[in-house]
Amino acid sequence: MAANFNEHSDISAADLTRLSQEAKAEATPSSARIIWDEFKADKPAMVALVIVVGFILFVMIASLFIDTSKVMQTNIMNYFSAPGADGLLLGADSAGRSIAQQLIVGSRNSIGIALGLTVISSTFGICWGLISGYFNGYIDWGMQRVYDFMMMLPMTMMIIVLVTIIKNYNAVTLTLIFSIFYWEGTSRLIRSRTLAESEKDYVAASKTSGTSNFKIIFREIMPNISSLIIVDTTLSFAENIGVETGLSYLGFGLPIQTPSLGTMISNANDPNNITQYWWTWLPAALEIIILCLSISYIGQVIRRAADASQRQGAED
Amino acid sequence: MWKTILRRILIMIPEVIILSILVFLLAKAMPGDPFTGSINPKADPAQIKHLMKINGLYDPWYQQYWNWVVHLFHGNLGNSYQYQEPVTRLIGGRATNTLWLALLTMILTYALALPMGVFAGRHEGKLPDTVIRVYTYVTYCIPFFVILVIGIWIFGYVLGWFPTTGSITSGTTGWLRTIGSRFYHILLPAVLGALFGTVNIVQYLRSEVIDAKRSDYVRTARAKGVPSKDIYRHHIFRNSLLPIAAFAGYSITGLLNGSIFTETVFSYPGMGLLFVNSISYRDYTVITALVLIYGILNLLGTLLSDIILSVVDPRIRIE
Amino acid sequence: MSLVEIKDLKVHYPIRSGFWNRVTDEVPAVDGITFNIEAGETYGLVGESGSGKSTTGKSVVGLEKVTGGSILYNGQDITKKANRRKLDYNHDVQMIFQDSLSSLNPRKRIEDIIAEPLRNFEHLSKEDEKLRVLQLLDIVGLDADALYKYPHQFSGGQRQRIGVARAVATNPKLIIADEPVSALDLSVQAQVLNFMKKIQREFGISYLFISHDLGVVRHMCNNIAIMNRGRLVEIGTRDDIYNHPLHIYTKRLLAAIPETNVNQRAAHRASRLAVEEVYREQQDKYYDDEGKAYPLVAVSPTHSVALPETIAKQLAQQETEVQA
Repeated sequence: MAANFNEHSDISAADLTRLSQEAKAEATPSSARIIWDEFKADKPAMVALVIVVGFILFVMIASLFIDTSKVMQTNIMNYFSAPGADGLLLGADSAGRSIAQQLIVGSRNSIGIALGLTVISSTFGICWGLISGYFNGYIDWGMQRVYDFMMMLPMTMMIIVLVTIIKNYNAVTLTLIFSIFYWEGTSRLIRSRTLAESEKDYVAASKTSGTSNFKIIFREIMPNISSLIIVDTTLSFAENIGVETGLSYLGFGLPIQTPSLGTMISNANDPNNITQYWWTWLPAALEIIILCLSISYIGQVIRRAADASQRQGAED
Repeated sequence: MWKTILRRILIMIPEVIILSILVFLLAKAMPGDPFTGSINPKADPAQIKHLMKINGLYDPWYQQYWNWVVHLFHGNLGNSYQYQEPVTRLIGGRATNTLWLALLTMILTYALALPMGVFAGRHEGKLPDTVIRVYTYVTYCIPFFVILVIGIWIFGYVLGWFPTTGSITSGTTGWLRTIGSRFYHILLPAVLGALFGTVNIVQYLRSEVIDAKRSDYVRTARAKGVPSKDIYRHHIFRNSLLPIAAFAGYSITGLLNGSIFTETVFSYPGMGLLFVNSISYRDYTVITALVLIYGILNLLGTLLSDIILSVVDPRIRIE
Repeated sequence: MSLVEIKDLKVHYPIRSGFWNRVTDEVPAVDGITFNIEAGETYGLVGESGSGKSTTGKSVVGLEKVTGGSILYNGQDITKKANRRKLDYNHDVQMIFQDSLSSLNPRKRIEDIIAEPLRNFEHLSKEDEKLRVLQLLDIVGLDADALYKYPHQFSGGQRQRIGVARAVATNPKLIIADEPVSALDLSVQAQVLNFMKKIQREFGISYLFISHDLGVVRHMCNNIAIMNRGRLVEIGTRDDIYNHPLHIYTKRLLAAIPETNVNQRAAHRASRLAVEEVYREQQDKYYDDEGKAYPLVAVSPTHSVALPETIAKQLAQQETEVQA
């Protein structure tokens, strides 16, 4: 059969290297490159990126040098030490534990859980949305009913109930429990975009080209909604920081002896602490605010870059 | 139209049944029993066993579930072990508190969001739009409980403008003062909730207005010489009003979820705080009832929104 | 034996409604059509939008779930998925889509787009595959530069040629061309059509050419079927359809072809109005009580029309007399 093509084209194997080199010179930059360029052009975005990445690296590395078991040990001598006193940079809480050290270890725990939650719930939500949106008919109908049911469940309450049921839970089980309830938003978004994408002719063309459904979903459709996925995942990460810290604040997240930004903020539940000993909770609150704002800002920049690359596409 | 609504309700029934079984089993799976420690610290184990038996706690789960459902239909949700009072009465009192708070929050949300959304869309790309966009962006990404804590710290403790606990100042007499005191107690949490709950409505309305501005029918109206104030009032705003009303149903989920945090921070005796307290005391009957109520309210909220939307947009009806 | 034999093909879309979302009614998009495509020919399928011609095309290529009837390819019924898989059916039957932008994945480079059917059906070595892609680009008149570019960097005509290259990649026997040029500028249309003709000559491919444009169809097709409301109203050779149309629907379509000769403007207008007049007055003669077309009746070995037998014979008679 190849003979058929050789016969009707002047191009032969001899030209292969030359032609593909010529083509390489004309190749178009990838979309990852476009997003990176957008970051370089946007100074505040670069600052946000440096803050987030730098901070995460800092707490991950710094917590390695802190003896986690000692952080939560009571030290009555430092009872509510003010910031700066007794060599404690940010003071100490009612048990005389260093706020600065708790903050570092707590950040690592909270960010780690948020990252884990984002990875698990987004992966699940993306797959769910892609499959539900691509296959219409009974598969979609069934998946939609499950989705409806999950949406009806009072999330925070269910998580609290589950946390009390499971006896020896740790950061991993906690992340898994959260993941059960936090994939819906992503899946809904991805499903509606997948529905629109599946209608397009390139999907039909892939079908007639003999490509399997699995490949069409993950290799053809998914790259086309990749910018949506990246933006959504980034924003979910910002949101997910609030999930664990919120539950820990209520007392149903990480165990009390494990430092978390949420447990630190729950120091504010005591009317004395909230005004008199503000250093026990305010740094953690401010840290969450700055982190969430920076991460969301990064998400916004990526969204803008993604839109711009699409606009560019329409122009030529 | 009516068929759509009826079908939606029919789909709800299995959902509610599954929810009730799930909730019941989860409550059963919770550790500890409600009697140890709560009656008498020195209670005899045999006596506890006896109490458990009387209360049917040794029956197989489906039988317990069935009893529970039968009681449910008689309006009997059992007794709270912690408060020693019927759950219906206990929750009834708390529910009104939660309801008032949610209602005020919703009213304030709409009062804030509607003008902001239209204003931002109308002045797209200009300074007010930028300010509103930064505002929605900030409120969107900060966790709600952090805002509550900082809000109560600044306005409740440091400035002392608002009460920081309870639903009413004790010793208040006279109905006018009672209402005043109650309103005063829910004002700060409601304002915080509203300030941080506008995102969806503002963004939706803004993009609707921007789309409408570019649409042919608005251009036609403009070309006819309709004043721009009337265009916004009659053409754009009216068109997006019903979808926005539909947000009310969906936002019930958010409000209920938020109530757990709001009521904890403000020590406000509503259903959310009751839930948190009941968990600590393993008060199963209250926990199951509350989860069920929250789930059904979520469901009704979604139903309400779906119905409003199907009235607005006939395409949704066919599905 | 013909390459493809379509027998009484039916595609009905269900309408769901009521309490349990059950199927309460059906829309017959394609309602029992029969025709054959010979090897190496271009078969024209013509009709207005919504007449079911695209649905027919999609059924033939295997994209549409068929309700009834059969499509025989080399004697095998390919309306069943298992048969399609067994035959590697899409190795032999490919499709060119109307919207060239939508039919090329915007996130894939041209090399990967054209190579997609090759990777699934032919499993060539990397070098052979690249060579084939380059040859295909050459065949449709594009430079090797195109290899690592994205679809949006090309013009509509170029994109459609890329679509043609992909369809030809596995050297298929039949290509379904679903309005391949109707989204293009007039000047570019001829260019793409000529490439298609050239490829047909060189590779011996059959086309099922779906279009609403009778001018384009005349340029491309030997045999033509006219489709209306899910049924065929007339089939015949190019000469049968263009010079001896019998069904009123065909006549109306022909009357609607824009005429460039301005001198005879008045005459064309008069004939157009005359056809409309006949349509208004004799509509029920051409359609049955439900407003559907009648079964086809042969009036000559090549020419069939959807009319009751007596009327068909009578009209054919008139037509020959007029010609004489």
